[in-house]
Amino acid sequence: MSLFQEIRWHGRGGQGAWTASELLAKAAILEGRYIQSFPEFGPERMGAPMAAYTRISDAPIKLHCSIYNPNVVVVLDPTLLKTVKITQGLAENGVLVVNTRENPAELRKKLDIASQKVWTVPATDIAIKVLNLPITNTSMLGAAARAASLVKLESIEKVIRERFQPTLAERNIAVIREAYKEAKTE
Amino acid sequence: MSQEQKGWKEIPIAGVCWRPATEYATGDWKTFKPIRDPEKCTKCLLCPMICPDAAIKWNKAEEDIEFDYDFCKGCGICANECPTHAIKMVREGES
Repeated sequence: MSLFQEIRWHGRGGQGAWTASELLAKAAILEGRYIQSFPEFGPERMGAPMAAYTRISDAPIKLHCSIYNPNVVVVLDPTLLKTVKITQGLAENGVLVVNTRENPAELRKKLDIASQKVWTVPATDIAIKVLNLPITNTSMLGAAARAASLVKLESIEKVIRERFQPTLAERNIAVIREAYKEAKTE
Repeated sequence: MSQEQKGWKEIPIAGVCWRPATEYATGDWKTFKPIRDPEKCTKCLLCPMICPDAAIKWNKAEEDIEFDYDFCKGCGICANECPTHAIKMVREGES
């Protein structure tokens, strides 16, 4: 695991990108690391494209600016691919995790990605199957945790149990485990 | 969300809607889209009235209702309210 990681989450208002960012940050705290988590909204309404950011570090973080060159970009909604520049500023050895039914090679070609790693996971399918809702934040959290080896799965599960009521927590943990397993790269 | 730096000529005038929502697709991000079964539909015209996005319209020439998928956000109110259950919500990309 590297010393300093910056993650950008692309989502739409109401999909829980900020919640995912917070959950990841809390899971990192459990592993004794330092964190920052903040959202950036454009128009503050449901369905509007927004971004959330997470910083994870082994040392106290003295940076307080926005994240311009993330190591990891997570996309919660496949329809954002055509409206938002999701690869903007992504580090050359970065990781891109996208919720889509396409396979990583197709996506790499479509988005014209050079050196970064591409991971895909059909998160909407998983969320609808398990939660009966098209809310993909927890599944993408599971996929991102594996793709970029950000935190351990157990830490995320512990945080989920703290944050949600027991029944909802168990369902979200099921979603995270499935996404963790289903995430694939080239 | 873009970090591109814009010049003063490109910045929209503050507080002014310079471009109406009719000019771009506001509903291109839906997860479910409504599909109507024309056999079951009695053309009662309840759905054009209750649609919160005015995305169901009466087509005069065809004498039938039609969905405007550019503006439909897939909320499912029409499918829920349809008295003859003629509208079904299906995943985008499947028919």
